[in-house]
Amino acid sequence: MAVALLAAAAPALAVEPGAAAPGFRLAAFDSAQQVSLADYRGKVVFVDFWASWCSPCRQSLPLYDKLRTDYAAGDFAILAISLDEDVADAKAFLAEHPVKYTTLQNPQGDVAKAFDLKGMPSSYLIDRDGVVRARHIGFEPKDIDALKKEIDGLVAAPAHAS
Amino acid sequence: MAWSRRRHMRRNLLLLIALTLLAGCATSPVQPWERGRLARWDMRWDPDPLKAAMAEHAHFSKEGTAGTIGAAGGGCGCN
Repeated sequence: MAVALLAAAAPALAVEPGAAAPGFRLAAFDSAQQVSLADYRGKVVFVDFWASWCSPCRQSLPLYDKLRTDYAAGDFAILAISLDEDVADAKAFLAEHPVKYTTLQNPQGDVAKAFDLKGMPSSYLIDRDGVVRARHIGFEPKDIDALKKEIDGLVAAPAHAS
Repeated sequence: MAWSRRRHMRRNLLLLIALTLLAGCATSPVQPWERGRLARWDMRWDPDPLKAAMAEHAHFSKEGTAGTIGAAGGGCGCN
């Protein structure tokens, strides 16, 4: 029985660099629109999972907002997915720390489950072909420089014809 | 002989129970993205850090010791 219980509890396979990014379609905060990852195919996409209760996110959101301005909108996009169970908490956080990039709501956490996050915050850098190229768990302001190098490399690479 | 067998059985039974209970923990671990409720200020051991620090200070002043509450070492009152 112990073995059966353990088997039943086996988590979904984590999304590692080199794997295709799981698709998602979520409601945005600032509009009634649904945004899907597939809409961004052809761009380098930085998917950031955050929550109002995650203290490193107080630092990361403003820094990511600055990072966004370093790249052309046609090359690079940030999709920040809030995992707050109460969407009002996330809205209050965004009012306090406003960002210009797309912020999405996932109170059910099913997208977090699909990516099988190992910590908060977690972020994924996805190339123009929809393949995860880097995964970051946790955040420190000094991480921005390494992230910028990774994005530079991916932005420079053209998309493969598919 | 009989005593030894009974002891073995008891040990095996305890092992089985322990393993089963362990598996029970694995069925619904709190995922990283589900910690919002746990991160609430009123879920903290000491919701008010200032009040907790004052209470701690009063406690070790009365006891004449330092480090009696959670700190490493202590008891000698020398730190």
